[in-house]
Amino acid sequence: MRKSSSDRDNRIIFVLSVIGVLIAIYVLQSFLRQTSIVCINTGCEVVRKSPSSYIFGIPVPTFGLVGYSIIALLAFLRTMSSNKKLLLGILAVSTFGILFVSWFTLTEIFIIGAICTWCAVSALNMMVIFSFTLKSYINTIGKLL
Amino acid sequence: MKITAETKLFIGIFISILAIFGVAFFLSSLPEPTVSKDELIPKATLSATGSATATTYLVEFSDFQCPACRAFSPIVDRIVKTNQDKIYFVYRHFPLLQHPFGKKAAQAAIAASKQGKFWEMHDFLFDNQDGLSDDLLNDAIQILGLGKEQFTKDFESNETQELISQDMLDGGRFGVNATPTFFLNGKKLNLAGPEELKSLVENEITK
Repeated sequence: MRKSSSDRDNRIIFVLSVIGVLIAIYVLQSFLRQTSIVCINTGCEVVRKSPSSYIFGIPVPTFGLVGYSIIALLAFLRTMSSNKKLLLGILAVSTFGILFVSWFTLTEIFIIGAICTWCAVSALNMMVIFSFTLKSYINTIGKLL
Repeated sequence: MKITAETKLFIGIFISILAIFGVAFFLSSLPEPTVSKDELIPKATLSATGSATATTYLVEFSDFQCPACRAFSPIVDRIVKTNQDKIYFVYRHFPLLQHPFGKKAAQAAIAASKQGKFWEMHDFLFDNQDGLSDDLLNDAIQILGLGKEQFTKDFESNETQELISQDMLDGGRFGVNATPTFFLNGKKLNLAGPEELKSLVENEITK
């Protein structure tokens, strides 16, 4: 029973991280090609053109792309191995992920003064991934104790 | 490590997600169909400016209570003023349900247009968007020098209601689902902001 619940959580984490990768690719290509982002509000363009959307010259979506890719890869590897370090790796990356998206959301609100819809969707996505990872981790610890 | 049934499922999920996004990307990159000038611009429109014979025409579906429409208004104004002989601009009504005063504001603009003051009312409504009310319309009648009796009659007339309904019906038919929505020479624009509209119109004029 616990095994199937863990499998289900890993599937959700994998699906959400692949969606995160695709969102990050879409937004990143707009940053690199300097083309407008299709968005339900005008915030995406304000955020894209802001210097605050670059960290040491690296566009913010790059971090999303790397983070989501690592999570997707680790979730995939979990289908082939029961090594607990894989789950711990996802937990570490998603913890960094929610800290990162929280920082960037605050930057959008207080420094840039606009909200990018794709960033908000990505932030929510990362929070859901973190929640499922934490749940899986707690279940795993419980099983070990 | 060994390939399990779950691994194969994940590969399937990955390919499915890629396929869904691929199809969505393909569909969204298809060009919007062009709407003919006759369909886009009502023959007896009183909310047009610029040159009716210009080869470039811009049609906006807008709502006086929509903040984004107000943000676009000065840019549109500048585009038309600097290209008076080269562009024909038509304003069409698309008051959204979530804006309680949107429809009344559209009625007021149509009533003012019957007295030749559509653009004066247009500017007045956008300038005072935060305080739209019946009292404000009474102020507008005085400030813009409109005949009150005629204004009230036109404001409430069936013809005014039908004009708004026709604009909304046409907007729905042409794929308008948000305001402002612009059509440049019949092509629906997906704009990131007001400045993009300016550059697209300038490109079209210099073609």
